[in-house]
Amino acid sequence: MRAGDETMTLAETKQYNQVGRSVPRVDADEKVRGLAVYADDVPVPDCWYAEVVRSPVSCGRLKKLTFDPVFDWSRVCVVTPADIPGENIVDMIGRDMPFIAHDWIQYRGEPLALIAAPTRALAREAAAHVQAEIETAPALLTLQELVARYKADPAQLHRQAAQTIVKGDVEKGLAEADVVVEGEYWAGHQEQLYIEPQGMLAIPEEDGGVYLQGSLQCPYYIAPELIITLKLPLEKIRVQQTAVGGAFGGKEEFPTLIAGYCALLALKCRKPVKLIYDRHQDILYTTKRHPVWVKHRTGLKKDGRITAMHVDFLLDGGAYTTLSPVVMYRGILHTTLGYRCENVLVDGHVYRTNTFPNGAFRGFGAPQAIWALEAHMDVCAEKVGMAPHAFRLHNALHVGDRTATGQVLSEPMGTPDVLEKTLERSQFAARLPHCSHGKPGQATWYGIGLAFFGHGSGFTGDGESRLKSKAALDLEYFEDGRPGVSIRISSTEMGQGTLTIMPQIAADALSVDLASVRCPLADTKYAPDSGPTVASRTTMVVGSTVHGAALKMRKALEDFASSALQGGEPVTLEGGHFRAHFSGQVRSFADVAGAYLKQHGPLRVYHQFQLPATIQWDQKTFRGDSYPSYSWGCNVAEVEVDALTLEIRVKKVTSYWDIGRLINPMLAKGQIEGGLVQALGYAVMEKMSIKDGLYDASRMQTYVVPTALDVPELDVQFIEYPYTHAAPGAKGVGEIPMDGLGRRCATRCTRPPGCASTTCRSRRKNY
Amino acid sequence: MNLTRTWIINGEARTVEFPPMRRLLDVLREDLGLKGTKEGCGEGECGACSVLLNGEVVTSCLVAAGQVEDGATDSDRGGSGEDRGWPRTAAGLHRKGRGPVRFLHPGHDWSLPMPICPSGQPDLTDLAMRDAHAGNICRCTGYAKIMEAVAAAAERWPKGGRNP
Repeated sequence: MRAGDETMTLAETKQYNQVGRSVPRVDADEKVRGLAVYADDVPVPDCWYAEVVRSPVSCGRLKKLTFDPVFDWSRVCVVTPADIPGENIVDMIGRDMPFIAHDWIQYRGEPLALIAAPTRALAREAAAHVQAEIETAPALLTLQELVARYKADPAQLHRQAAQTIVKGDVEKGLAEADVVVEGEYWAGHQEQLYIEPQGMLAIPEEDGGVYLQGSLQCPYYIAPELIITLKLPLEKIRVQQTAVGGAFGGKEEFPTLIAGYCALLALKCRKPVKLIYDRHQDILYTTKRHPVWVKHRTGLKKDGRITAMHVDFLLDGGAYTTLSPVVMYRGILHTTLGYRCENVLVDGHVYRTNTFPNGAFRGFGAPQAIWALEAHMDVCAEKVGMAPHAFRLHNALHVGDRTATGQVLSEPMGTPDVLEKTLERSQFAARLPHCSHGKPGQATWYGIGLAFFGHGSGFTGDGESRLKSKAALDLEYFEDGRPGVSIRISSTEMGQGTLTIMPQIAADALSVDLASVRCPLADTKYAPDSGPTVASRTTMVVGSTVHGAALKMRKALEDFASSALQGGEPVTLEGGHFRAHFSGQVRSFADVAGAYLKQHGPLRVYHQFQLPATIQWDQKTFRGDSYPSYSWGCNVAEVEVDALTLEIRVKKVTSYWDIGRLINPMLAKGQIEGGLVQALGYAVMEKMSIKDGLYDASRMQTYVVPTALDVPELDVQFIEYPYTHAAPGAKGVGEIPMDGLGRRCATRCTRPPGCASTTCRSRRKNY
Repeated sequence: MNLTRTWIINGEARTVEFPPMRRLLDVLREDLGLKGTKEGCGEGECGACSVLLNGEVVTSCLVAAGQVEDGATDSDRGGSGEDRGWPRTAAGLHRKGRGPVRFLHPGHDWSLPMPICPSGQPDLTDLAMRDAHAGNICRCTGYAKIMEAVAAAAERWPKGGRNP
């Protein structure tokens, strides 16, 4: 025990300020050495392997399924709709997707039957012996066809969701304008391409339940969504994450599907069943970023002021609803964000096509919206004869302004600070005149582009209040016999650093050292529902919930130390030590925690996240505070285009970010760098179309993502405007780097004459 | 007909029997239980299955196990490199505690010895480092942290140059 706290040096006290430090990842060592256990690495004796029999047509009616009598079916386990204990429904929004098709088929690759066998080879062999008789129907496959039909007669289309945002009077605003600028913008699918493919393992339990382990983001999506299908109570469906090798939204709602396949098979054959997609299956049969078509109609005054913004925002939802309505909500809430305008009308829609259902992908509709918005703002600037940066500085939202939903941005924040600072650091104004504008006779064209954007942190509106997400802290003995605190949350570690930052936050709130706190991988058996690991919410929302729980535990231990050990003398826990106020007696955290555990056994405290009462939201009219807070970012991208091949090389990205208080600056920077490179892929490299109802780029050889050689110099700077309503003050970081990479603007500066930059894709293949 | 081979893996002699065309990746993962090697794409694009085979980095999904002779040395993960006097590049990544670390680092780890000047010393020019890693796809970090880790690992490179 320490003799007295006055001997503690400055260096020692510093270790009790973990928030704001670049603490190394707790899982770095096991991951670098290849020791982390991913879904396919879990040792399972007597494991069977699953295979999915899929529809060969995009749309039609299933007449009959034939199981070839040549094959010995006694060696395998088959699940058809008749074997489903409960309802054949994937219990997501819309409830329109069956686990296994039984009547109408809506996309090519839709499951017709599930098979499990003792080897992968046998499972595949069995699947090849199933024949389907299908009466085909006409299919709607591409965004181009969808938009053409939408323009002709939207009533003929199957609408999955719609929502409108109204502010002021858009017709009045357009009438007041000196000039009205219209533009249409398109973007296609994007594949998450996490390096670890989808994987799930289902183990049947003695009590009739099922234990699922897999590569997933949201344990509490899977468990409740399987209740009606498996006909099991929630407590009999245990979901645990294994190490996750990247997710990016691709493991948000999709894993419910493979969890269902594995669980249905495991419960029928009473064996552990594993399903690991290979890369080809993973690209063909998992969700993608929604293709988008956006039409902007903007009224402008001669001085550059925006008088009206009318936006039509249309997503290709794919065959079933999945999360598409919510993706569209985030899309329409970001499609005018960042700019002052009193008259706004936004129409959002999601329509069905007969392709694999589209789903969550980092940004969740916002990257599509911001790509169109920023491309359009450049066109608007040009029409009123202003430079792109001058136009943005003129119209950018400031503190006190109102967004399209009427939200007053009241807390200090990064707009327009990030814009001003990025312009200064990148010397944008000085470099803009050097743009080549596709001048003939030059071997290389130079261009510079700008994007300015915000991103709502956490769930839309009062979603975080309705979710009631909880965190628990357990005081218990660690494996090495020391007493310590385990953080129990359902937020997953998928590479972004949850397991590292949560102990940083909890250690500071408890005022103990980092070694006394740990955060095990998410497991529904131990962790309460702290919500899904999505929507840029984990650090901000779950972090502050963990902070609240840690304060409660600190209080409980102080009370115990006071009453049980100090005879009622007030005691304070600080810097890893309990100090009695009058006697000055000091006890270590380990001593007091050990005494507590001996007397009372393990201690669990809960905390629930609270939004401030000032957050008011009407989900019907989309009026009010659409997000509790916003992160802000600005990118300037400098590009070179080969005048002969039109190959685009992004040379440098200069950026400023306001993501609130930095919990771990190194990890935050890593998130931004990684997101920028993924956004870069979306802008200039990654290309995917529909051919015969399937994605044409279905392997890593054909779906090309950035390598180390494709990455530009990344200059990432932060400005901290903390979230003011809850400690420790972080805002969202996960998605915002995906939102705006300035290539669309940059190529405008370099484009050859006659080439419109309305498609978010490298056009080099088209020349 | 199956082949029987004895390889030195992570410094340990292991005997294994397999059909000659079985992927080295599957022999390592499934037959030998060495799960540090990962399958990311199965076609030599992502680098997650990289192993060190007689001093060369190969993507084990593209190597037929029958091509690997008796006595070949093979490593599927970090630490073992030390046995042969290699600097532990894993420590370079770890010590600096670099940003997002996800699925592929076993592969990245083994690509680290690659950028070498004729002098036997690490070539830390940006292009050389990026070129050495171009065969390892990372979807999380944006490569910046990995490049910093390569430079950090170079500080630990043996002064005598590369060990064969």
